[in-house]
Amino acid sequence: MDKQKAREKEVTRRNFLKMMGTLGLVGATATLAGCSKEPAGGGGWLPQQYQVASSWPTQVRGRVPLDPFSPSLTRDDEKCILCGQCVEVCQKVQSVFGYYQLPIKDNIVCVNCGQCALWCPTAAITERDEVQKVIEALEDPDKFVVVQTAPATRVALGEEFGLPAGSWVQGQQVAALKQMGFDRVFDTNFTADLTILEEGTELINRITGKETGRPLPQFTSCSPGWIKFCEYYYPYLIPNLSTCKSPQQMFGALVKTYYAKQNNIDPKNIVSVSIMPCTAKKFEAARPEMNDAGQYWNSEEEIRDVDIVLTTRELARLIKHYGIDLAALPEEEYDPMMGEGSGAGLIFGATGGVMEAAVRTAYFVLTNQPAPEVLFNLTPVRGLEGVKEASLEIPGTGTLRIAVVHGLGNARPVLEAVRRGESPYHFIEFMCCPGGCVSGGGQPRTSLPPSDEVREARIASLYQKDASYKLRESHENKEVIELYETFLDHPISELAYKLLHTKYTDRGDNFVAKKLS
Amino acid sequence: MAYNKFDTPGKGVLIDLSKCVGCGSCSLACKMWNDLKFDDKFPDQGPDAKLSDKNWTAVRFHAVEKDGQPVFRFVKNQCLHCQQPACESACFSRAFQRTESGATIYYPHLCVGCRYCMLACPFNVPKFQWDQTFPLVTKCQMCFGRIEKGEAPACVGVCPTNVMTFGDRDELLALARKTIESDDKYVKHIYGEHEAGGTNWLYISDVPFEQLGFRTDVTTRPIPEYSHEFLKYTPPVIVAWGGLLSGMYIYTKRRNKIAKEEKKDMSV
Repeated sequence: MDKQKAREKEVTRRNFLKMMGTLGLVGATATLAGCSKEPAGGGGWLPQQYQVASSWPTQVRGRVPLDPFSPSLTRDDEKCILCGQCVEVCQKVQSVFGYYQLPIKDNIVCVNCGQCALWCPTAAITERDEVQKVIEALEDPDKFVVVQTAPATRVALGEEFGLPAGSWVQGQQVAALKQMGFDRVFDTNFTADLTILEEGTELINRITGKETGRPLPQFTSCSPGWIKFCEYYYPYLIPNLSTCKSPQQMFGALVKTYYAKQNNIDPKNIVSVSIMPCTAKKFEAARPEMNDAGQYWNSEEEIRDVDIVLTTRELARLIKHYGIDLAALPEEEYDPMMGEGSGAGLIFGATGGVMEAAVRTAYFVLTNQPAPEVLFNLTPVRGLEGVKEASLEIPGTGTLRIAVVHGLGNARPVLEAVRRGESPYHFIEFMCCPGGCVSGGGQPRTSLPPSDEVREARIASLYQKDASYKLRESHENKEVIELYETFLDHPISELAYKLLHTKYTDRGDNFVAKKLS
Repeated sequence: MAYNKFDTPGKGVLIDLSKCVGCGSCSLACKMWNDLKFDDKFPDQGPDAKLSDKNWTAVRFHAVEKDGQPVFRFVKNQCLHCQQPACESACFSRAFQRTESGATIYYPHLCVGCRYCMLACPFNVPKFQWDQTFPLVTKCQMCFGRIEKGEAPACVGVCPTNVMTFGDRDELLALARKTIESDDKYVKHIYGEHEAGGTNWLYISDVPFEQLGFRTDVTTRPIPEYSHEFLKYTPPVIVAWGGLLSGMYIYTKRRNKIAKEEKKDMSV
């Protein structure tokens, strides 16, 4: 009480005036220093290309629209700087953006290829992250988690760990996957070889007229971005597409039927993971028809052929999550039964690879003789030229004319020629991404924008390994032979057709394609 | 008689909604240029997009029907920069000022935070910084600094499909009229030509505006005219009121004086 009285006494008239004077000074200083008389806004930044007079067009601008529900791609607006690189690649390289009339109908036209993600300098556009799903599956003791790795990931994964472009890390990749706790580590090259047998047989059937209603040229069907492009822009050429599923989906269907049956595993407990260089593979795995294992087992519960797709970049994140030093790992081998792959399967990762692999086997099937040496180094279909072509004399059959196209912009003139009936080819390989899978939308961002130098390094690594293999022809893959002997019977058998082949969707009604001059 | 501050209608933007693909470049450019924060609760793109103190522009997604078919449309919202802005007329501290260029801009140092502007705006545009200790009102400034330099507003410049055209309002109106008349797909209405007495941002669309969340019941009479109807009597009311009160004061004072004098006489 006394203290309070004492304090009250201190508030003298002098003190009060001093206090008010100080507050006034502080207020005046704050007003003068901090309170701008400028209008609101304009305190930020935009890239240089947008600082032009309003009547001048900006050459590189904006960004591509992304479907918020896309299974493949997402975008973080806080990272986007509107540099326009995504539009650049989508429009000029892939010929998707801007190739439809406005207004849009009810679809955000996207082939899910992820080239925008590969070109994005800030990684604002990236794959839909499913790393956590894999971690949960690995930690679930009731789940039998199998993984397949695509041909192209083994020549790129190392780049995420500081190794030079094209470094060969197949053995380390297998070792890392095993160390993380995957129950089986398999190779997509196995089904790449299988694809050659199915697709090759289909081609021969088309040439010989056994496959009625299926015209020539036959188009390859391994690249889901290319498939969606064809469904969108060239739906009338869908009959030209091979009915073969991509190696990823063949693998998914087989692991939950063939492998599950042979090893007595409940397919419902299998979690099928794939490591892909591609973001469109996520879309492909989510296509409603890709549940052939479920159909096979007559399961009421939905069994997806492939449950989770990780890109190479996601795999790198997963490996880093477990604190594994990839480069320091000892090399390990793939698990048997679905782990063997030939050099032919391996080169699927490069543009022209499917074609080269196919002709090696086609030659053997048609002539019953080993393929000549030239078919093991088929240079006309190698390299980064947009459209490559070759013709082969096959004794007893005639001339087989083939073409290889990569990058969807390069596909348009070839497809137009096919539409007009002017295409001389029997078989055309289409790959969505420039350079093929080695430069897929899910690969490491080793150079920005992606450079041919990096693509060439990765491709060279694949061809070098193919050359060093003893097994270089798909039809000589012992595990594939065993698969046919014990399960599928023969290529395009009834069961093979059920599990390894698919149908396509006409997406031409989703928009009005722009008339091109 | 309407109060027109400037002789020229100024600059504006014509938005052709049928060209929008929903990439959201415009709303991001707005955030980048104006240094605005991102807010998960109030998205600036998608089906739930709305204007907020951090979203000066927002691109809202609409799934509607056109000719019996489902279609996607995207609507970019922002301040429409009225020819005779209600916010300006409601603001007694002159924090909102329409400029000769057509932009209605906001001066934070003049704002007293009364929020009359928010009540006045027929398009529900100005937003308040509810989460700030010293909150301000916020809205699109039409990138005033940029248009003064001859550049287009940030959102216009970044659009990859040319949804927006920046220019003189008169020319934009002529362009809009020509576009909707030459193509059957368009609704024969230019939103903003007459709404609230005319706005400097104009819209054309191939889907009726009411289906895209536009207020179609907005008066065509400039909002300030309504308040002008009675506010024009303010000076005479003040003078009359002052006169009346002064008179009453003098009268009362005189009465008291007389009463006092009478009392004095009585006591004598």
